[in-house]
Amino acid sequence: MTINEIMDMLKGILYTTGIFNFDYRVIVMWGVAWFFIYLAIAKKFEPLLLLPIGFGIFIVNFPLVPLMGYSHGHPELIEAFYHYGLQWEIIPCIIFLGLGAMTDFGPLIANPKTLIIGAGAQLGVFVTFTGTVLAGFTLKEAASVGIIGGADGPTTVYLTQHLAPQLLGANALAAYSYMAMVPIIQPPIMRLLTSKEERKIRMKQLRPVSKKEKILFPIVTCGIIALLVPSVVPLMGMFMLGNLMKESGVVNRLVETAQGSLMNISTIFLGVSVGATMSAERFLSWKPLFIFGLGLIDFAVCTAGGIFTVKIMNLFLKDKINPLIGSAGVSAVPMSARVSQLEGLKADNTNHLLMHAMAPNLAGVIGSAAAAGMFIAMFD
Amino acid sequence: MRNIILVLWILLFLFPCYSMGEDFMGVPLIPNSKIISKGDKDIQFVVNMSHDQVLKFYKDVLKGQADIRIREWKDSTYIEDDGNRKWHSITIYRKPINDGIKVVIKKDNWTWIMGTLILRYVGVFFVLMTLFIALSVLGKIVSTIVKKIESKQES
Repeated sequence: MTINEIMDMLKGILYTTGIFNFDYRVIVMWGVAWFFIYLAIAKKFEPLLLLPIGFGIFIVNFPLVPLMGYSHGHPELIEAFYHYGLQWEIIPCIIFLGLGAMTDFGPLIANPKTLIIGAGAQLGVFVTFTGTVLAGFTLKEAASVGIIGGADGPTTVYLTQHLAPQLLGANALAAYSYMAMVPIIQPPIMRLLTSKEERKIRMKQLRPVSKKEKILFPIVTCGIIALLVPSVVPLMGMFMLGNLMKESGVVNRLVETAQGSLMNISTIFLGVSVGATMSAERFLSWKPLFIFGLGLIDFAVCTAGGIFTVKIMNLFLKDKINPLIGSAGVSAVPMSARVSQLEGLKADNTNHLLMHAMAPNLAGVIGSAAAAGMFIAMFD
Repeated sequence: MRNIILVLWILLFLFPCYSMGEDFMGVPLIPNSKIISKGDKDIQFVVNMSHDQVLKFYKDVLKGQADIRIREWKDSTYIEDDGNRKWHSITIYRKPINDGIKVVIKKDNWTWIMGTLILRYVGVFFVLMTLFIALSVLGKIVSTIVKKIESKQES
């Protein structure tokens, strides 16, 4: 064997390593990945999602890794999760099933007028749509960016995958990041838009809700949504099925699975797949950065939309609503309801708003799904 | 050399055909169509072809282009651009009028975007208002029934 032959063999081996195919842009992506892993571990910001997303970003940004492509006609590991879980729009629906199985709609049933707050808080979704179109995005991309303000992760993933899959990574990351930052983003807006007197408003105690009402709620809601916005029935149907299973009390084993193992498995696949869509060549452009910037404005406008809706409602209501619960209309369950509670306690340390805020919080989930349905209907 | 000159002559001869081919906001008009009205925002013309022929013409023109949606409506076929093109829609009417089929091409406009957005925002309110009404009614009915049952049990 000659030296040349040995050198050729060595070259052959070296060319199969990542070192010889290194692209400097991946270093930036490692930074992004580490930042999200740091937020998850050190700051405990949405760790269930930001940790797998961060790690997904990290491992996919190495040259030649067989994760997000096809080899011998078969999808590689994360490509398979992504294809069957997200492209087929299964994972967001399974997560909604689990969320439904965890949710108590009692506060919303006891105070159904808060549903209007959930609608008002979708203002940012539509405002952002306009801004995004002005920036040169297509209408479908604009709709998928707009929904970030709804602060509902599965809905954002569902709509983006449906309308603009090329933005999935950026949109999902922006949605989950801002959801994690609700306690930082919302309080200044809440204080700015409400007076001290308004923040002290005490709300009437919620009436008790019977089991029958709780069982009928998912059936009625599912029926109405299926009639009015059929395009979001995969999401809302699963949500209501989960809730019906919980409230019926007869399928506890299924409820345990839906809110436990099934939800956790789906969350792992969702996080790592979303992260893995963020390769350097896709992410390092102006669009994802713009989405991050606009997402923040979107969130702020949605928060303001909820507060203003309460203020308008108060003009007509005898029993006033504390406008601090308006901000909870942006979904982000239950984080934004907790923020309302904390801000309420700051104004009056005996005024507990948590249960009142849970109602618009849940209405926000339905509202953002309705907004997503409106957008899907616009393009399908 | 002779061949090159020949090709150049042919190209020169064909050039006016291309330059004379009319379009509106980048959408070609069907040759020999009769323009009814033309403004900054839209153009209306009639063409002596069947609805299906006109539709095929525009399908061929737009073939392979992303973000194009074709909707079949009762009285017309509506081709809509969901991308960033200068035009917004091409409406091909089904019912022939005197000289053929009427086609309307509209410029992309903010009125449409804002209009549809406001309508959809109102739509979200409508969905949740419907739910609100349904829940209020349901709440009243169920609580009345529960009260009746409880009062019966007490008595």
